[in-house]
Amino acid sequence: MIKALLLANILLAAIWILATGTITQENFVFGFLISFGVLWVITPDRSRNDYFTIVPKLASFTVFLLYQIIKSNIQTLIASLYPKSKLSPAILKVPLTVETDGEITFFSHVLNITPGTLVIDVSDDKKALYVHVVHCEDKEAYIKELKEVFEKRVLELTR
Amino acid sequence: MSIADYYNFVIIPILGLSVILVFIRFLRGPSIADRVISLDMLILMAIGIVVIYSIIHNQSTFLDIAMLFALIAFLGTVAFAYYLEERRKRDE
Amino acid sequence: MNEIIVMILTTIGALFVLSTALAMVRKRDVYLRINVTTKTATLGLGLILGAAMFYFNEYSVTTRVLATIIFVGLTAPIGGHMLARAAYINKTEKWEGMKIDDLAGQYDPKKDILHSEDMNTKFEPPTDYDQPSTK
Repeated sequence: MIKALLLANILLAAIWILATGTITQENFVFGFLISFGVLWVITPDRSRNDYFTIVPKLASFTVFLLYQIIKSNIQTLIASLYPKSKLSPAILKVPLTVETDGEITFFSHVLNITPGTLVIDVSDDKKALYVHVVHCEDKEAYIKELKEVFEKRVLELTR
Repeated sequence: MSIADYYNFVIIPILGLSVILVFIRFLRGPSIADRVISLDMLILMAIGIVVIYSIIHNQSTFLDIAMLFALIAFLGTVAFAYYLEERRKRDE
Repeated sequence: MNEIIVMILTTIGALFVLSTALAMVRKRDVYLRINVTTKTATLGLGLILGAAMFYFNEYSVTTRVLATIIFVGLTAPIGGHMLARAAYINKTEKWEGMKIDDLAGQYDPKKDILHSEDMNTKFEPPTDYDQPSTK
């Protein structure tokens, strides 16, 4: 269903480009948005359709990820100017709720590009992730925060 | 103050200072992993310097070299990490 | 106007790269160095490349710069992850400030697997104690 709607969307955008006659990236993006609106209007029951929720979710996830990256980069910048004794690094075991290989790869990459966390290894039965964190005072609270902030978003996106 | 002057007198010294600091870690690093990660960082900073030079001389062709450096940095790091794991297995 | 945006972006990027270099010298063990440096270097480099994108303002340059940013953002953290794993398997010393280590005793060197339940296989890197003067 998602693939069929995506193909229809790209096809409508290509038709928009042929009709307007200018081949640029901005025009393609504009045509994509217009045909997304057209598809949104003509589809009968939108609540059962994943396609109309996954595109806004993807956009909001990108914004959330950029915000997290910039915020925690500034935190790391301040922390790297601290005296050395104030940091307390740790290697935590984060139990996984996600199951398939693709979800685990996606989740660990999200953790990897966010400063402050570094995935060291995945256990062989795919049930736990070993994460090295820069500053950890309360173990349980940190694991809970990781699961609620990042894993919940990944789950919303993939399911 | 033109943009070339600003880059020549402010940005290039900052990047050069960071290259020197990372090179100190490259020489002193107690383990092999320290040296590999500082080599990775050196190549990333070289990409930054190449981009700055392409802005100063107004030559967008230099950006191809930046892309090439990014490829080489990834290949080098992955090859060294693989070598470290395999060496541990051979030693046992 | 355009030049001012380019200058501001490059300055912030260069400061991030400088903080990376400072962290490289000051942090105590390999894991902290890998953890801190790969991310800030990626962001600083992305800002410098974005400045080049604003400066040239052509399609060929924009696509090349975007490809480079995406490639660096995808591969630098993966390289850091592989290197940290190789360092842990090779028993590189860890700093004594690392109080919690859940990965200790989880690797099984004989069968070469990593458990997720609590095991005790005596696989743990040695601790690197500080000199008393620097504490």
